[in-house]
Amino acid sequence: MKEILKLEHIQKIYGNGGSITKAIRDISFAVEEGEFVGIMGASGSGKTTLLNCISTIDAVSAGHIYLDGQDVTAIKPGDLARFRREKLGFVFQDFNLLDTLTIGENIALVLAINKTPAHQVEPQVQAMAQRLNIQGILEKYPYQVSGGQRQRCACARALIHGPRLLLADEPTGALDSHSAQMLLTTFEGIHRQLGATILMVTHDAFTASYAQRILFLRDGEIFTELRRGGQTRGAFFEKILQVLTMLGGGGTDVR
Amino acid sequence: MYAKLILRSARRSARDYLIYLVTMTLCVALFYAFLSVSSRFYKPDIGVEYDFTLLSGGMKMAICAVTLLLLFLIRFVNHYMLRSRQKEFALEAILGMDQRTIAGLFFAETLLMGGVSVVLGIGLGAVCSQFITALLLTSYGQPYRPAWTLFPDTVLWTVGFFLLSFLAVGLFQTRAIRRTRILSMLTAGRENEAPLTQSRWMQGVAVLYLALAAVMTVQAGRMLYFYGDSRFPAPVQVMFWANILAPAGLLAWTAVWAVRRRKGDFPVLVLGLTAGALVCILAAASVPVTQRRYMLAFGEGGVSQALTALLVHLLFLLCGVIWLASTLLVWRKERSAACRYQGTNLFFFGQMISKLRTTSKTMSLVSITLVLSIFLFMAAPVLVGWADGYLEARSMYDIQIYSRYNNVYHEADLPRDGYQAVTAFLSEKGIETAADRTFSLYLPRREDFHQRVKYDFPAAAISLSDYNALRTMLGLEPVELAEGEFTTQWQTIASEEEREQFLAEHPTVSTDAGVLTLAEQAWHDDPMGETLYNSYTDVVYVFPDSVCQQLLPVMRCRYSMTAQPLAYETARALEQFFIDHYPEQAPGGVNYSIRLRTLQVNSTRAGNFVLQAAMIYGAVVLMVICLTVLSLQQLLDAGQYRYRFSVLRKLGVGEKEIGRLVVRQLGFWFGLPVGAAALAGGAVVGCFVLVVQAEIGAYIGFGALAVQLGITAAVLTLLLGCYFVSTWAMFRRAIEA
Repeated sequence: MKEILKLEHIQKIYGNGGSITKAIRDISFAVEEGEFVGIMGASGSGKTTLLNCISTIDAVSAGHIYLDGQDVTAIKPGDLARFRREKLGFVFQDFNLLDTLTIGENIALVLAINKTPAHQVEPQVQAMAQRLNIQGILEKYPYQVSGGQRQRCACARALIHGPRLLLADEPTGALDSHSAQMLLTTFEGIHRQLGATILMVTHDAFTASYAQRILFLRDGEIFTELRRGGQTRGAFFEKILQVLTMLGGGGTDVR
Repeated sequence: MYAKLILRSARRSARDYLIYLVTMTLCVALFYAFLSVSSRFYKPDIGVEYDFTLLSGGMKMAICAVTLLLLFLIRFVNHYMLRSRQKEFALEAILGMDQRTIAGLFFAETLLMGGVSVVLGIGLGAVCSQFITALLLTSYGQPYRPAWTLFPDTVLWTVGFFLLSFLAVGLFQTRAIRRTRILSMLTAGRENEAPLTQSRWMQGVAVLYLALAAVMTVQAGRMLYFYGDSRFPAPVQVMFWANILAPAGLLAWTAVWAVRRRKGDFPVLVLGLTAGALVCILAAASVPVTQRRYMLAFGEGGVSQALTALLVHLLFLLCGVIWLASTLLVWRKERSAACRYQGTNLFFFGQMISKLRTTSKTMSLVSITLVLSIFLFMAAPVLVGWADGYLEARSMYDIQIYSRYNNVYHEADLPRDGYQAVTAFLSEKGIETAADRTFSLYLPRREDFHQRVKYDFPAAAISLSDYNALRTMLGLEPVELAEGEFTTQWQTIASEEEREQFLAEHPTVSTDAGVLTLAEQAWHDDPMGETLYNSYTDVVYVFPDSVCQQLLPVMRCRYSMTAQPLAYETARALEQFFIDHYPEQAPGGVNYSIRLRTLQVNSTRAGNFVLQAAMIYGAVVLMVICLTVLSLQQLLDAGQYRYRFSVLRKLGVGEKEIGRLVVRQLGFWFGLPVGAAALAGGAVVGCFVLVVQAEIGAYIGFGALAVQLGITAAVLTLLLGCYFVSTWAMFRRAIEA
C-alpha cells in the first residue's frame, strides 16, 4: 500500500523563556492510503495538537510532515488555505456547520470553494447525501435537525471533494450513544466503500474500536500501537481497554 | 459583588460597543456645545447694536426637539445588547439570580456607560462650543476670541436630558428582561430569521401607499376642477394630468396585478409600484416649478399638497428600492446555480439572507433618515444664504422710511410729509446723519392711481436727482439722462428674461408730461433696497426731474445713513416713536413703515443663526444616528460572525478571500441604504434648488452655492468613509483568527 501521510520526529513547543510546554515531544509514524487510524490518549497527551499540526492549522516546532510526498511544514503561509481546501477533509466535535446555510448548502459550499463547475455541484451533493442517508434533510437548517444528522452532514461536507485524508477530532464527542454508533457505522462504510483514509482523534474506546490501527499517546509521545488485524471489533475493544488501563486514567473508561 | 459584576460587564460592553460610546459622547458634546449658546452665563461680545436674548429660547427648543431623535439610537443599542446577552441572563437566572436583579444589573451597566459618555461628552462639548461661538460671532461680523467656560445651567440641562433618556429606555428594557421566560432567553439566537418573503412590512407599506395614492388622485382631480383652464399652455396641462394619471396608474397596476395574480409574485407588484413612484415624483415636482413659471393661482396650498405627495412617493421609492434589492439577492441565489456556487458566494448569500427580514426594514428607515439629513445639510446653506442675501438687499440704509398707497382712494389723502418728527427725534438723541434724502415716487400716468389689480400694478417712477442722490449714498456712480429719455432700475430678484421682455415691450413710455424714450443705458440693477419699488413690481422708472414735477406723487420715502451705527435700544425707541407718530394704517389709508438696519440685522442674524445651527445640528445628529445604526448592526453580531468565518478558514478559505467577503458584506449593508439615500437626497435637493432658483440667483449666486454644496458633500463623504473604515477595522478585528 502507498504511504499517504508520514510524520518524522514532530515536536511542538508552546510558550517561551522560562515557561515552556512540550505538547509533542517526538512523534513519528506513517499512514497508508485507505487506512483508518485512531489516535487515543488522556487529556493533555497531545492528540489534538498533533491533529492541528497535520491539518496545518498549527505549525510544528521541529520535524516534517509529508502528505502525498509533499512536505506540509514547508508550504508558504499563503498557500496553506489552498492545501487544506484541496487535500484535507475535517469533521469536528461541534460540527462546525454554518447556521445561515441549509444542510445541502453547507455540503455544497466546499465544492463551490474548490471551484467545481456549478452544474456538477447539486448532483454530487445528492449522491453524497444518499450515501450518508441525509437526502431528506438537505433543505433544512442545522438547528432544525438532530446532532447525529448534523455530524453526518459534516462528514458529507468533509468527503464531498474527495480529500486525500479525512481528519476527525472527537467526532462522537457531542453525540448520544445511538447517534455515535450510527456515525461510526457511516465512517466504517466510507472507509470500506470509498477507500477513504481516516485519521481520527478520540478518547473513547468504543469509538476507537472502529479503527484498523490505534496510536496511543502519552505526554507527547507514542506510547504504543494496536492493530486490529483479523480480530472482531469486540476483541479489539477489549484490547484497547487493556492498553488504556496500562496508560493510566483509561481504567475509568473501562469501569 | 454586584458592583464588581456591573463594572466588569460595563468594561466588556465598552469594548464591544465602542462605536456606540463614541457616538453617544459625540451627541452629548454637540448637545452641550449648541445649547451653551442659550446659557444665562453666555455673554459673547457681539456689539451694542445687537440683542442676544432673542436667540436663546428658540435655540433651546430646537436643540431639545432634535435630540429627542437620539432616543431612537439609545433604544436601538439597548435592544441589541439585550438580545446578544440573553443567554448570559438565562445562565444567571438558572444559577438562581432573581430576574429583577438581572434586569437591575443590566440597567445599572447601561446607565454607567451612559454616564461615562455624558461626562466625556460635556468635556468635548466645552471644546466644541468654541466653534459654535466662532460661528455666532462670524454671523454677527465680530472677530472671534476664545473664552473657556463651563456653563452650570447647560451642564444641568445636558445631564438631566440624557439621564432622563437613559432612564426611560433603560426602564423599558428592564421590564422586557423581567417578563422574558428563561427558556426563551436560553434558546435566543439559535434560530435564523424567517425569510424575507414572509415579512409583512412591505405588504403594509404597499397597502398604505395605495390608500394614499387614491387620496392623491382625488386631490389632483380637485385641483384640475377648481384651477384648471383649457387656455393654459401645454406644460401646465401636462402637469395637471400627470398628477392625476400617475397615482391613478398605481391603482390600475395593482388592479391588473390582483386579477392576474400568481403565488409569490408580490415582488412584481412592488416593482411596478416603485417604477410608478418615480413617475409620480416627477409629476409632483413639476407642480411648484410650473406654478412659479406660469404664476398659477392655486398658490401655496396647492404647492404644499404637491410637496406632501412628493414626500410620500419618495418614502415609498426608498422602501421599494431597498426591498427589491433584498428580494433580488434572494432571487439571484435561488435562480442562478452558476452564481450561487461560484467561490464563496454561497457563504455571502447566507450571511445576507439570514438577516434580510429585519435589516431591510432598518435599512429603509436609515435611508429615509439619511435623506432628511442630506436635505438639511444641503438646504442649510441655501436658506441661510438666501436670508443673508435678502438682508443685504433690504437693509441697504440705516433708516428707511416709506409709505404705500394701496389703501388710499383719494388723491388728497396721499402723503406730503417730510418726516420732520424723525429729524427731531434724531437731534434729541444726538444722532448725526452722514447722508439723508427725502423723496417721492410718482405714477407715470395719473389715471393709473386707481389701478389696484395685483397683476397690473403700475411701476412707479423716481426723479433723476433723487435717484442719483441715493446712488451716491450707496457709493454708486450717478447716471445721466438726456431730455425726453428715461431709464429703469431693477430689483435683484428680477430675472434677465423678465427684464428683457419688459424693455422690448416698453421702448417708450407715455406719461402725463409726454412720451419718453428709453435711454441707451436702458437699465440698472445695482441693489438699492426693495422699498424703492411699487407693490408687486420689480422695476422703477427713472425720469428727468422736469417730467416728475408734472406727475402725481403717490409715495413718500426718506432714506438715511447715520454717522455711527444705531445702538439696539435707540433703534427700538426710534421704531416705537415712528409707529406712534406714523401709524401703519393712517386715517387716509396711507401705510407708513420704517426699517432700521440695526433691528433687521439683529433679528435676521439671530433667526439665521438658530436656523443654521438647528439644521446643521439636526443633520449631524441624524447622520450620526444612521451611520451608527449601520455600523452597530454589523459589529453587534461579531460573535456569530467570528464563528462563521472560523469555519470558512477551516474549510480552506484564505485571508485574502475573507477580506474580500468582509468588504462585500459591509459594502452591501452600507452601500445600499447610503446609495439609495444619496440618490433620493440628490433628487430632493435638486428639486428644491429648481423651485428657489430665482432667490439663489439673486441672493447667493449659483457658483457660490455649488462650492458650498460641494464642500458639504465632501464632508459627508468623509464622515461616511470614517464610519465605514472604522467599522471595517473593528469587524476584521472581531473575526480575526
